[in-house]
Order: sequence, then structure tokens, then C-alpha cells
Amino acid sequence: MTTISRRAVLKASAWSAAAAYMARVGIIDSASAQPAPKPGGGLVYAVTSPNNRLGDATNGLHPHNWIDLANRTCYNALVWVDENLELQPELATSWEADDGQEVWEVDLREGVEFHDGSEMTSKDVVSSFEFHRTETSFARQIASVEAIGNHKVRFRLTEGNSEFPYILAEYHCMIMPAAEPDKIGLSGIGTGPFKPVGFDPRRSIKMVANERYWRTGHPYLETLEVVNRGGQMEGAVNGFLSGQFDAVTNIDPGFVRQFQGRDDTSIVYASGGDQALMILPKYDGSPFNDKRVRQAIAAAIDRDRIARIVYGSDGGWVGNDTPLASSDPNFLAYPYKYDTERARALLAEAGYPDGITLPTFYFAPYWPEIPRIFQVMSEMLREAGITMPIEERPNDGYRQWRVEDAEGTRKHRFAYGPVGIRNPGISLYRMRPDNNESGYWSGESAERYMELYAKALVTGDPSARREIYHEMQEIAFEDAPAILPVGRRNILIHKSNIAGLDNHPQAWSIRFDEVHRL
Amino acid sequence: MFAAIARRISLSFLILILVSLFVFLATEVLPGDALDVSLTDDDLAVLTPEQLAEMRAELGLDRPAAVRYLSWLSGALVGDFGNTIITRAPVADIIMGPLRNSILLALATTAVAIPVAHFIGILAAYWRDRAPDTIVSTSAIVGYSIPEFVSGNALILIFAIWLPIFPATIVLYTDGPILEMLAVSILPVATIVIGSIAYLSRLLRLGLVEALVSDYVERARLAGVSEWRVVFTHAVPASLVPTLNAAALYVAGLLSGIVVVEKVFAYPGLGLELINAVLKREVPVVQATVFLGAVGVLLMNLLADLSIIALDPRVRRSAGRG
Repeated sequence: MTTISRRAVLKASAWSAAAAYMARVGIIDSASAQPAPKPGGGLVYAVTSPNNRLGDATNGLHPHNWIDLANRTCYNALVWVDENLELQPELATSWEADDGQEVWEVDLREGVEFHDGSEMTSKDVVSSFEFHRTETSFARQIASVEAIGNHKVRFRLTEGNSEFPYILAEYHCMIMPAAEPDKIGLSGIGTGPFKPVGFDPRRSIKMVANERYWRTGHPYLETLEVVNRGGQMEGAVNGFLSGQFDAVTNIDPGFVRQFQGRDDTSIVYASGGDQALMILPKYDGSPFNDKRVRQAIAAAIDRDRIARIVYGSDGGWVGNDTPLASSDPNFLAYPYKYDTERARALLAEAGYPDGITLPTFYFAPYWPEIPRIFQVMSEMLREAGITMPIEERPNDGYRQWRVEDAEGTRKHRFAYGPVGIRNPGISLYRMRPDNNESGYWSGESAERYMELYAKALVTGDPSARREIYHEMQEIAFEDAPAILPVGRRNILIHKSNIAGLDNHPQAWSIRFDEVHRL
Repeated sequence: MFAAIARRISLSFLILILVSLFVFLATEVLPGDALDVSLTDDDLAVLTPEQLAEMRAELGLDRPAAVRYLSWLSGALVGDFGNTIITRAPVADIIMGPLRNSILLALATTAVAIPVAHFIGILAAYWRDRAPDTIVSTSAIVGYSIPEFVSGNALILIFAIWLPIFPATIVLYTDGPILEMLAVSILPVATIVIGSIAYLSRLLRLGLVEALVSDYVERARLAGVSEWRVVFTHAVPASLVPTLNAAALYVAGLLSGIVVVEKVFAYPGLGLELINAVLKREVPVVQATVFLGAVGVLLMNLLADLSIIALDPRVRRSAGRG
């Protein structure tokens, strides 16, 4: 038996504490507090949900057209949203807004070089955002961007937005070397840990380590290759099983079982992922105009049971009927218990003492488990006297079919919609009255909700903002404009001889800086 | 004869225009357009209807359908298939690589399938209703009945996962070297060949069985011609004529892309390109791909007709009179 002396234990503890302190204050990276990973080797990973606007031979390396949106392989943004959905500086070192949250000044990291050796300055940031503000949905709020010296920029927004740094972290908003808007980004030159050496715009990109990377000592891998297997889950899994791929991102829960218990495979769950939205359309004659009917549906859904049945013990999370994810620090747990008696009472109060038959509910298998969620939910609602016929539609053209509205009546379908994980501001904004996803929610509660949203936009203090978001969620709990019962946790698999490959609730924010071979 | 060929070419031209119109109308009735598909639900959640209308106008998607079709047709007639809607890339650049790969896959498959199918068909026909025929016919029915996604995945399981000899999925670039593309295409070719041999060998067997009991074969035998010569110089050529049209259609089908096989193996061909283009509502790419497929079918049919004229004196005389 090996014995360890007290002195050795104390020495090790002291060193660990010192290393942890240095990592916390930024003297060393947290990774370097551990034994240093061995540099070298390569990683080939397949992505099953790629960019839906892939480019061509001329523009396939542009961050907007980057094959899998996880374009932090090649590029960096000013800010990064970490695995816990917290903001972290990337090419920016700090940021500050005026009182109205309308003017933002951002300090840039000095000494950062692009792949070609040129220095990144405010000129590049301005040029990049001149492009993004016309081409990126989330960046259209930028009215102007200007340089203040070499390493500082100022953004003026069309209106205050206290969560603007999240926009700076968006996967489209990467920093590219300055160029005219029609030329910028085409070269594939970024500041990221890898630089492209070959690509097929719709199939794969091959990269090698960027020796000028600003995070000294990173990346560990010498080569990285991303292969598009969008919509071809079987192909990606076959490639993994045959040894062609070292990792596959965004695996469906149904595929995971075959990898459980395998020594050569690691399964990595993110803290969150997309959630399933049940839109309750409110139009003349809709049963969902009555709040009590909506509340009855909410009460008749056992969220925990759905998550357990559909996702098992690890793959899912329970929602709270708002587009916020449970991994978001602002998330409030859903306060009501599953209660069929309460549901029946609410229905009786609403004039349906014998139960209610809802219009047909439509969904498309955006994710393979979506049909199962609503099959289980339909059975569950029956226990409370709610009959909900369900019908599956093809993915292709589903959204357009769901919202088609030739007569302009907003009489959209009672249907499913996918909701991705974003910052709380954008997420909660999805329940705005003029959005189909809220079912065109209206009334006093909706008005109060939007007043609070407007207040949050100009509230710079995060804890004060959190209070506002809590109140918004409480309004949604009470008024039930929509139902968001469960979500998935993103899953990736990789070979056991790979380490440092963390999963992320926003699949596009995965970083490969720390990945190494064992 | 030349008048007949000219008539055939004119008719083909008309068919091409009708096909392009039909494809355009089919894509028009699909819900959504290229802009809708290029945006994520998250994008759509923050964009206003006015912003979407502005973006649609920038891409020319607000123009009437008839204007967009005629604009495409006028270009296509002079070989210009236009640009993609979202990225404005020339369609010709997008489809050239996949077209090359589909032709490669078709040629490789044909080079294997036709000789093997002939050999098997001849065996079955010569020993009709005996053991070789029973084995060949039964195997053919089984081979023909197995969907390609099943046979493809079975081959992947055996030869890529259990015995890691061939790649399970093709990761080569679309413009990868031809020899490398052929090297990684063994499983896709084998998958298509399994179904093709079954189909073609049964077709050939049927023609050859009829030829082997015909009067001229009987006369050749009575004249003392060796059995080997009877089969290969009298019966086989005669049996080819009725199968030419079917074989031409088969090859044309390969040219237009074995969609399922390309999907299973991620083979970078025209079929896979077509699926992606339909999903992304890239109508110019869909149009060009289907257009090329239709050209392939018509060309192969024309080739089959010309071959029949060349091989069959009765048809030649009839065409000459007409």
C-alpha cells in the first residue's frame, strides 16, 4: 500500500490552493493548474446541425457561412458566452455603457494578431461591425460604430440595450480584418486558435493551429477538421463508429444509448439546449383567449414526467413556460405543481365542466424526440379532461406553413416551435405581443410584461435587471401565454482519448482551445 | 431517318422546357422561400415583417413568379443557370463538381453492373428452369427487393464498422481527385450494383430466353453452328435490342443521381445537391439539377433509339421510309 506523508499532503494542498488562486486572478489559466496537456495530434469532428446558409467557394470561409457556426475555431468575437451562460471577455477586455444603455464603449485586447500577422485594432472592429449591423439580425440595433484610438470602439444603438454585450458574443459577430463590406471576411483570416488550410464550403474545413494565437500556449491540437453531416445523424454516427470521426456534436438522445457503457466513448451533456414551445394562438374564437384554459393546460402537464420519459435521467431539463432556459442564472423554477384537479376546476370555471377538445396540435420533428414529447403530453392532458388531437408535419417548410396567414387575421396554427438558448433579454422578448410565438398575447399582463422588458433594457445593474426578469417570469406563470414544458441538453460524443472538449448549451459557442489528445 | 432524329430532338427540347416549368411550379407551391429557410427561428423571432420584406426585395424574391421563371429560362437556354439566391454564387459552379461525381458514380456502377448482369443473365437464360436459373432468379428478386438504404447500411456495418476496410461516410471534398473519389466509392457502387444487377439480369434473361427459342437460333443450331457461337453471336445481340431502352433509362437514372445512396454515404453528387437545394429553396439550383437530369434521360433515350436503328435492320428500314 502506498503511504503519503503529512508533509507531502500539506505541500500538495498549499500548491493546489496557490494554483487555484492564480487561476482565479488570471495569473495562470485554470487548465494550467492541472498537469499541462500534451500538445499535438488532431481532431476530426462531425456536426449534425450545420449553418443553414452555407457558402460557396468564394465565401465559404466567411463567419456568416462558416460550416457549423462554431466559428470560434477560426475567429473570435469581442465577448464570449461561457458554458454557464455568463459573459466572458474575448477580444474585448472590458465594456461600459452610458446611463441609457445606448452608447457602449468597449476596450480591445492589445497584442492580438490575425492569422496573417497583422495586428487587430479598432479599425478592424469598426469594419467588421459596419458589415454585421446590416447583415446580422441581432446586430441591426447598432446605429453606428466608431474607433476611439487604436484599441477602443464606441457603439451607438438605436435604443438602450443593457444586454448588448451578448450581441457582441453572437456567432455571426466575429472580428475580421478591415475591408470593404463586399470583401470582408472572405479570406478566412481571423484571430482564432486555428487557421483554415483547405475547405469544401458545404462539406468540411481543415485547419491547423494558429501559432500567433493570443491565448499563449493554446491550442493544443495541431490540426482540426470539421465535417458537415447536417441532417445525417446516421452518417455521423457511422463515421464515429468506424473511426473516421473523433467526435460528433449534437447527437440525438435516441442515439446515446448505444454509447453508454462503452469504454472508448465519452458522452458530454451541456447544461442546456433547445426547448419545445407550444404556441397558444389567440384570435377571434380561439379557446386560448381564455386565460383559464391556458392555465388549465399548464396545470395538467407533469413537466418532470415528460422530461424523464423523453430524455431519461440526464438528457433533459424542465422549463417554466417562458423561453428562458433552466441553465440561465435568471431562471425561476416553475412554481405550480402538476394538478389535474386544479386543471378541471379551471376548465369548469371557463365553461367546460365536461372537459374540452382543443384544435389539432401540429408539430414537426425538428429534433427526433419532439413527436414523443407531444404524444406524452397529449395522453397526460387527457387525465385532466383535455383532448388534444396531434398531427406530425414534415420539417421542410414547417415554419412557413405554421404561420401562413393569407387573410392577415393572425389565425395561426396551434403548433410547436423550437426555442434556442439566448440571453434573458432576447429570450423573454420572444413573448412580446406582436410575435407569433406568444400567440399574439394581449391584455394588461402582456402590457405590464412589455413595460418591464423596456425597463430591463435600460437597467444597467445586473441584479436589478434580474429582479425585473423574475417579475416578467411571474407574469408569464400567471397568464400562461405559451407552454414551454421541457428542453434538451445538447449532447456530444467523443473518443475517450480526447480531453478538454466541453459541451455548450449554445452549440455555436463551443471552443476547441483546450482540446487535446491523451 | 434524319427527319425522324430531328423530330425526336425537337420533341426533347419541348419536353425540357415543360420539365423546367413543372419543376418551377412545384418549388413555388412549397411553403417558404430561400430567405425564410436561410434564417433561423431565433433570427425570425427578432426581425420585424418590414425588415423581412426589405431583405426579400434585396434578394429579388418579391418579383412575380412568372418574371423569375422567364428570367431563369432565358439564361438557361444560353447555358447560364444564373446565381444562387442567398449567396449569389454562380449555379454552374455549385453543380459542376456534383455533376462530375454523379457521372463518375454512374460510370463506375455501369462498368461493374452491365458485364456482371450480362454474365448472370446469360447463365440464367441458358439453363432456364434449372438450378443456375433458380439461384439467379431468386437472388435477383431478393436483391431487387432490398431498399438501397438497407443494403447500404448493411454494407457499412459489415465493411466499415465490423471490418474497418472502407469508409462509412465519404469526407472527400466535392472536387477531390477522381481516383480518390473512386477509391472511397466502393461501398456506394456496391450498393447500387446489388439492385442494378438484379434488375438488368432479369431483363436480359427474358430477352435471351426468347432469343434462344427463336427460329433463327434453331436454324443456326440445325446448320451445325457451335453452341458457344449460337449464344454469343446470334442470341445475345438479338436479345439486346429490346433491353436497350430499359438499359438507357437505367443509366440515365444513375446520371441524375442515386439520391438515396448519395445520402447514405454522403457522396457529393447531384442527388445530394438536389436534396439540399430543395430544402434551402434554392430554386435556380433545383432547376439546373433537374434540367441536367432531364437532359441526361433524353440523351440516353436518343442514344438507345439510334442504337436500335443501327442494330435492328427492320427498324432501320422503317425509319428510312418514314
